[in-house]
Amino acid sequence: MEDALPERDGDEEITQDDAWEVISAYFADKGLVQQQLNSFDEFLETTMQEIIDEHPNVEVRPGIQISPSQAAGADTRHVVTFNQVYLSRASVVEPDGKNMTLFPNEARLRNLTYACPLYIDVKHRTIEVRPDGEEDVQDSEIPKLFIGRVPMMLKSKFCLLHDANDKELTEFGECPLDPGGYFVINGSEKVLIGQEKMANNLVYVFHKRTPNKFAWVSEIRSAPEAGNRPPSALYQKLLRSRYKNASAGSIVTTVPLVREDVPCMIVFRALGEGYNADRHVLEHIVYDTNDMQMMELLKPSLEDSQPVHTTEMALDYIGTRGAQPGAARAQRQQHARELLVKEMLPHVGITEHCETKKAYFLGYMIHKLLIASLGGRKEDDRDHFAQKRLELSGPLLASLFRKLFAKLKKEMRTSLQKMVDAGHEITPSKAVNPKTLTRGLKYALATGNWGDQQAAAGTNRAGVAQVLNRLAFASSLSHLRRLNTPIGREGKLAKPRQLHNTHWGMICPAETPEGQAVGLVKNLALMAYITVGKPASPILEFLDEWGVENLEEISPMAIPNATKIFCNGAWVGIHRDPDQLVSTLKELRRSVTIDPETSVVRDIAERELRLNTDPGRISRPLFVVENQQLVIKKHHIKLLRESDASGVNWDWLVANGLVEFIDTEEEETAMIAMFVSDLAHAHGMVLNTHAEIHPALILGICASIIPFPDHNQSPRNTYQSAMGKQAMGVYITNYQTRMDAMANVLYYSQKPLACTQSMKFLSFRELPTGINAIVAIACYSGYNQEDSVIMNQSSIDRGFFRSVQYKTYKDEVNKVGLDLAEQFERPQRDVCQGMKFANYEKIDEDGLCCPGVRVSGGDIIIGKTTPLERTEEDLDPMQAKFTKRDMSTRMKMSESGIVDQVMLSTNESGLKFCKVRIRSVRIPQIGDKFASRHGQKGTVGITYRQEDMPFSSEGVCPDIIVNPHAIPSRMTIGHLIECLLSKVATLTGQEGDATPFSKVTVDEISAELQKRGYQCRAFERMYNGHTGRRQNAYIFLGPTFYQRLKHMVDDKIHARARGPLTTLTRQPVEGRAKDGGLRFGEMERDCMISHGVALMLKERLFEQSDHFRVHVCERCGLMSIANLRKQNFRCPVKACQSALTCQVFMPYACKLLFQELMAMQIAPRMVV
Amino acid sequence: MAATRRPDALPPHLSDKHKHVTCASDAPTYTSTPEYAGVYASLGIDNSLDLDELRREVRIDVKSLTADEMVFDVVGIDAPIANALRRILLVEVPTMAIEKVWVLTNTSIIQDEVLAHRLGLIPIRADPARFEERGDSESNESNTLCFRLTAKCTHNADKSTDAEPYTGARVLSSQLTWVPQGDQAAGFAAEPPRPVHDDILIAKLRPGQEIEVECWCEKGVGKTHAKWSPVATASYRLLPRITFHQPVHGPLAAELKALCPLDVFDIEDVAGVPTAVAARPRSCTVCRECVREPAWAERVSLQRVRDHFIFSVESTGAMPPDRLVRDALGVLKQKALDTAQLLKDTRAQADGDVDMAGAVGAADE
Repeated sequence: MEDALPERDGDEEITQDDAWEVISAYFADKGLVQQQLNSFDEFLETTMQEIIDEHPNVEVRPGIQISPSQAAGADTRHVVTFNQVYLSRASVVEPDGKNMTLFPNEARLRNLTYACPLYIDVKHRTIEVRPDGEEDVQDSEIPKLFIGRVPMMLKSKFCLLHDANDKELTEFGECPLDPGGYFVINGSEKVLIGQEKMANNLVYVFHKRTPNKFAWVSEIRSAPEAGNRPPSALYQKLLRSRYKNASAGSIVTTVPLVREDVPCMIVFRALGEGYNADRHVLEHIVYDTNDMQMMELLKPSLEDSQPVHTTEMALDYIGTRGAQPGAARAQRQQHARELLVKEMLPHVGITEHCETKKAYFLGYMIHKLLIASLGGRKEDDRDHFAQKRLELSGPLLASLFRKLFAKLKKEMRTSLQKMVDAGHEITPSKAVNPKTLTRGLKYALATGNWGDQQAAAGTNRAGVAQVLNRLAFASSLSHLRRLNTPIGREGKLAKPRQLHNTHWGMICPAETPEGQAVGLVKNLALMAYITVGKPASPILEFLDEWGVENLEEISPMAIPNATKIFCNGAWVGIHRDPDQLVSTLKELRRSVTIDPETSVVRDIAERELRLNTDPGRISRPLFVVENQQLVIKKHHIKLLRESDASGVNWDWLVANGLVEFIDTEEEETAMIAMFVSDLAHAHGMVLNTHAEIHPALILGICASIIPFPDHNQSPRNTYQSAMGKQAMGVYITNYQTRMDAMANVLYYSQKPLACTQSMKFLSFRELPTGINAIVAIACYSGYNQEDSVIMNQSSIDRGFFRSVQYKTYKDEVNKVGLDLAEQFERPQRDVCQGMKFANYEKIDEDGLCCPGVRVSGGDIIIGKTTPLERTEEDLDPMQAKFTKRDMSTRMKMSESGIVDQVMLSTNESGLKFCKVRIRSVRIPQIGDKFASRHGQKGTVGITYRQEDMPFSSEGVCPDIIVNPHAIPSRMTIGHLIECLLSKVATLTGQEGDATPFSKVTVDEISAELQKRGYQCRAFERMYNGHTGRRQNAYIFLGPTFYQRLKHMVDDKIHARARGPLTTLTRQPVEGRAKDGGLRFGEMERDCMISHGVALMLKERLFEQSDHFRVHVCERCGLMSIANLRKQNFRCPVKACQSALTCQVFMPYACKLLFQELMAMQIAPRMVV
Repeated sequence: MAATRRPDALPPHLSDKHKHVTCASDAPTYTSTPEYAGVYASLGIDNSLDLDELRREVRIDVKSLTADEMVFDVVGIDAPIANALRRILLVEVPTMAIEKVWVLTNTSIIQDEVLAHRLGLIPIRADPARFEERGDSESNESNTLCFRLTAKCTHNADKSTDAEPYTGARVLSSQLTWVPQGDQAAGFAAEPPRPVHDDILIAKLRPGQEIEVECWCEKGVGKTHAKWSPVATASYRLLPRITFHQPVHGPLAAELKALCPLDVFDIEDVAGVPTAVAARPRSCTVCRECVREPAWAERVSLQRVRDHFIFSVESTGAMPPDRLVRDALGVLKQKALDTAQLLKDTRAQADGDVDMAGAVGAADE
């Protein structure tokens, strides 16, 4: 008894807080980009080899030879087979031929591609057929033939950084917090965005609206498990009964590669002799022939197919509508037969003897269709997340690799053929062009156009690979977990954009862009796990063992009373005791005997058991509940806490059936308790099968940073999710060793006082993006109206929200002609042509400037010249002295800063390559943008020194004053609670817990504040800084975490009086970067018109723009030639030649129009 | 009619509004002073300012004084005067601070600008009275102090596990060494200029990194940059005044005592009945817990005395707080004198203008 006590202690139920131990274990094991890494690893380890194996051998034989030298009759074949592939460590070939190991950061800095060489064992078999028919076989092996470079995902299994510890990572120039999961292509980091698509191999039933001639359609997009083929669609369509034609109410089938719809019965008949009788077909559709309603519905279909009553006829019927309708009857039939085997429902089988299964499947589709038309089930929901699959880096690269490998083989065949035809010796190693693969993969990853470079524009998916966002650490993480739905952005349909119930726990409900892509671009929730895909064969074997009756062996009569078993969409059989089967399956899954990512969906209503093992399903872990109690207990948590000693980790939890992955489809059949505590007081018949680990995990990366998001109006969380990505902080710890095109780093970032539990997995405490500012919500002087804020200048002086901006300029030496190259140097005016109006003083002899030099707009920061190649004759004496042309890089006019770092290296082709990083300090000023974590953004309206700020009786001055009008209509209560909690946190010295869906209440926080002598709702009595008197209101004052956003006035300020013009129209150019004019637009024009200031309008649009003077011939009205110096005027028109000229002012654009008209044989005559 | 001078003669309800700011649970009321001399004229009371009376009434009590902080009461002045003192303390009392940093070497990860900014914020103990403001003139020994900072980090020779792995990894303010210019060495021999605190972390280094900078201190005021502000903060609050509308006895008294988180109330025996009294009104932070419930608001009145300012001056350490207050009062006095002079000048000028105008007019005639 005594001994049993401690044991019982551990059997206690866990609390909600203990769940975070489990969550920590999950992230310790998987990290945040596990979907990217797993998917890519699967591609390298399995899929790549599969693709190579499934490709046919390359076979060449000499073409018909006219040359008499070739001995007639000797037939030689060459067969080239590809075997094992090998991947080597990432490397780069320097121009001197040395193969150097390449680390990712070097690739980033030198604009190289981080890729691993791929080798393959090639077997070359020469088969000579002697005239006597004997075959002479000769084999030669080429081991490890280099076939190209595969870009390597950082931190994946074959990456150099895999399993490197923090110290090693630092030595490699990497940030230890960087999660990897992206590629480095030509120095830029690329992420593959997950692509959402409809799942294959599922039968959907849809209702069609009236103009369509079909009332109901059931469809399937079938693709075999290990296939390289695009899915082939098959439809069963029920004609609208009031559709006035002979076959009203009948069902037709759209068979792939058959141009016309085929009456459904004919497809059955074509499958074999067994389906010639109507009764046999009906059995496969209706199962229960006593169901008169359904039988009745099938009548028109039966009548429809009456004339075609044998297999031969049916095959002929399909064959004549196939690809080769004109062929002979036997051929047509053969073609149709092959079509049914290979093209129709390939996921059921693509070999012979699958007819029974296919017949059952066709019947099942029609059955579903009929049930739906009888009102027995609703039409399927297209937006249901169970019917979606995500294509991540693995499948995306696989499809690309497949295409490129096919191309490589095609090219190989051509060049082998050439070798054979030329009578040369066959050398497969010379026929392989590794650039095909290297360039193809690089092109797709570099541009994001998924597919071939040669493919017509628009056929490839664009934006699949994107440049990794490095604005803030959270934005990088979020980018790595982003999903895209490739449907047109202009589509007005709201449904696919809306949040669906099945997104719970899989997709973040808050984080989505605003505007055209709203709801189409999604982000994964924290704990969402995307299945990698496992072969179905172990499941099938297991099913056989456990009494699943094969479709070949059953009578259709058995179906209504048994449960149909589907595996990855294919109907494999029936089972008569599904309860037992399901519980066994689940038990096996919970003990990892079958893979834990397998989903077991028991659909009681439909009498179906669906098992899925395919890749791209979204699932999430849940606590397993048995008998209304969690299987996981306190003692498990204890083991987890001591994981170093006990070795208990996430996998152990899964293997012991304490937690389990549930995908979107299986979730529909689970009863999930929201909180652990809900299990205890469940009432009625409700029995839970699972419990949420924590509801806060439904949020994604960006939304997990928001404190108390459950107290905000929902769009505010969406706004913050977008804004958090623009916040400054330390975006990655190795920023000093990187040369990002642009980066902002906050001087003194602080971890927030109000933290969420999820933050510890996002490294937000290590790399925060803001400062705990003392914020007052008050009206003060009126300089914080309309979303502006008042900021304390004294705080700014002391370093509040100061930041550094880094910008990198890049230049490289190019080859000019064959043996000349550009040169980094300081251009000399006496030998250099085209020197800019700029300051060349800041650069040294080598063309580069020193770190620490102050540079500003108009300074040359990289000096470069290109040699001039000229022939003797075109030497203009004025130009003769020039031997070079200036190609220097000038700093942008609006920028200034200090040279931070200069990098000089060589690029891939061994030419000099340099990057110059400029740093400039950004001190907060009027117009800079700031935001809290609740979608409350604002710009600085004024800065006041400390003495002008209001102060509390303790002498506390706010850093920021926001206007109270920002609160009521936006309902960001979380903002206020954050402030309250942060105030308590400063007093207790402990971090505040702002996790959503926790049990913390405002009253509890208030009581804590009260206890420390403050007004319980964080109100303070304050004194006006200007007058020294008491303010007439109590002011809500406390620390709130504020973010500095990247939008700063210094990057936007712009004005111009005179400046550059466009050459064509002589109107001012557009844009700040080009020192362009400020547009006087249509609405401004309207104002002037309505105000009646015509001269003002004329000045703006004419005198200040493209004012121009022309001379017009008074006789013919066309523009004449004027020489003002000689006072000589003459009309160029041959027939006119008048000297009577008149001077006219008009916009240059108008003159241009007239001349263009004249070029089109239209004479615009001005009557003057 | 001869008006009475004393507003004490005001009827109680007006006198209360005149003297106190009332802190209701939702918002304070009567926050401003009736300044107009004739506000109470209808009652026969003169509200104008009498300088002699002011001189007699104004009182300054120093409540506590340490090296860094001073708390004192100023009674009998109006908010604008108190506020002027506060504002001057914050931004108009000059101090010395690092203004120019010459970076000779900086191979640390901290950027030059950030390093310079950090150096600027270090409080320097040097008497600003002995320096001139540089203005546009050249830097010399009369307006500039020079410090030098040399720091280098190396691996620690001692490789034992518990020893720090590096030496010189933390650059502290104590490493700033004064470099006397001209005859400064003699002049400041008694109290050589140095940073107020020796433990301010300026930068962190790793082996191979080095910082060598020269810092020039100049005299300035907080208006220009907060680094010259001599105080961490200077502020005041009004003296809380807690009264009872009706006596609070027995269990209610105990309840009231428990209600206050700052223990303002005591229970005393008044005529044999335990009664609540506001024993420590100074420690009241006006959290208004005692007037939050409407029932309590009827019993307790929470007010502040309008002309009783509790000042708190926290020095950065560059100068003692009492010296700061004295300097600030000096600045205030100078301002007043300047204004008086300005008024006198303007008056004289205006009179001159009138004379001129008269002269012109006369000439016309």
